[in-house]
Amino acid sequence: MAAREPSRYLARTLPRAIAPSARPQTLACRRNASDDAPARRLSNHLAELETESSLATPLPADTVKSFNPVAAAKSRRAQLPRSRYQFRPPKYDRGPLHPHQPPPPSDPSSRVFVPGPFSLPRVQQTYDAAIASDILTLCYVHNPPGFTPPPKAPRLREWDDSSPYHKNRPLRGPRGGDVLRLLRKPIKFNSIPELERITIHSYVKQAAQENSGWLHVAGMAVQAISNKRVETFKSRASVSTWSIAPGRDTVAVKAELRGEDMYHFFGKLVDVVLPRLKDWPGVKGTSGDSSGNITFGLEPEQVALFPEIEVNYDMYPPKMIPGCHITIHTSAQADKDARLLLSAMGVPFHGKIVN
Amino acid sequence: MRSLSPALASLANVFRIPMSLTPVRPAVSRVCHETLSRQSAPTTAAVQTAPFSSTSTLAKRKGGGPQVDKRITLIRYFLYHPLTPRPLRFSRNRFLRHWTIHRAWQLFQAQQRKKQELELQRQYQSMQAACEELRTGAGDGGKLFRVSMNKKGVFTDLFPIEYARFQTESPAAEGWNYEWKRPEKKY
Repeated sequence: MAAREPSRYLARTLPRAIAPSARPQTLACRRNASDDAPARRLSNHLAELETESSLATPLPADTVKSFNPVAAAKSRRAQLPRSRYQFRPPKYDRGPLHPHQPPPPSDPSSRVFVPGPFSLPRVQQTYDAAIASDILTLCYVHNPPGFTPPPKAPRLREWDDSSPYHKNRPLRGPRGGDVLRLLRKPIKFNSIPELERITIHSYVKQAAQENSGWLHVAGMAVQAISNKRVETFKSRASVSTWSIAPGRDTVAVKAELRGEDMYHFFGKLVDVVLPRLKDWPGVKGTSGDSSGNITFGLEPEQVALFPEIEVNYDMYPPKMIPGCHITIHTSAQADKDARLLLSAMGVPFHGKIVN
Repeated sequence: MRSLSPALASLANVFRIPMSLTPVRPAVSRVCHETLSRQSAPTTAAVQTAPFSSTSTLAKRKGGGPQVDKRITLIRYFLYHPLTPRPLRFSRNRFLRHWTIHRAWQLFQAQQRKKQELELQRQYQSMQAACEELRTGAGDGGKLFRVSMNKKGVFTDLFPIEYARFQTESPAAEGWNYEWKRPEKKY
């Protein structure tokens, strides 16, 4: 094989040099003086090459007879290593100091490699095309050039030195409670709130009272509507009326959606499920954890409206279809921005809006 | 062996799905059929007139044992089936192809993000310029500017629900509704 390489190369090269090129050299009307330069001229190196192939030389007959590569490979005592290096990622992550490191997740040989995304969700397209710029316009606050906002009081207050015991104390928390809330930055072109992730959580108390079938059906239903493998959780609270003990009963399933899955789920929720809810005024205006995440709940019969469950409704025991809590995590730092974003994306709110 | 299309056969090869007549993991339809047909087994046993019964005495005594819904059995089967494909292993050339496409896709996405961000920045700056012009050059003492900066109702009335219509391939049937007014709040 190796002996044939140059001749194959030559055989490929020669016709290319001889074949008429896209820029005909001789028939061109326009010629430059530099065309005759030795570097530009079609070189004479080809003429120096031998046209005879060395392969034409006849081999001795006994060499031809004894040439049997298959038999030679079989008669080898130990097989040669495979020609291609087959990399196996480590099964366990043994820390950053271990010599055998897992490949990056984008590497297809990685164990966490997920191919895709395979689609561009409508929700994402709409957000990029219309919603982002509309929110930017709606929230624009003009500051004249040269204007600097007056400095605000520090969030952690000093102690007034009325007592000698105030010396070296840590700073006081904000007024009205010890929670240090997130700072709300003005919405500018690089900080427009957007969807970050969606969490679907379902607490099935019958999983502790009756049997695990409840949890399995709930997990399957959540998996079906979210396109994600669910995680299960044990109860942390003790609810004696439901006979739930902390750390003993597995009672909850959760799926966390990001990226493509999240946008598809949100699209289904807003386009298919929410318009069909009967007597549903909308998400409560008081919902939210005051740092930009909005939660609302769906009843079991509302979860059954998701198209994945609806088409396959007969395969679920009807009384076991779970209700769930859906938390929409946005990149907004305050609930009012998150609500503005969600209302632009089709989630209605009702009642008194509390920020 | 069933005759599969070459694409299906290669997929089955990739995911290690056996294509022989006695598969390690039976086909979905077969599992469903078997599980659902097993549901009718007790009724035939009851009809049976022969003195011999295959029901265990304990199951007979305790009222037939725990009756599990067959649908739950199926859900358990599919929830815990072990068919997770092994990590992909590419040869040198396929790996390079994948790497090239991956890098190109990342680059393309970064360019798209950059473009989007620059477009938003451009809009923001032109808003700034327009507001500055309105504030100083409109000749009304900045009244229009003050009115335009009023944020009343932005965070309480929010977007009207009709605004939230995700983009579609084709335009809406009724197009733009010029008669629309913000509806009264019921709640």
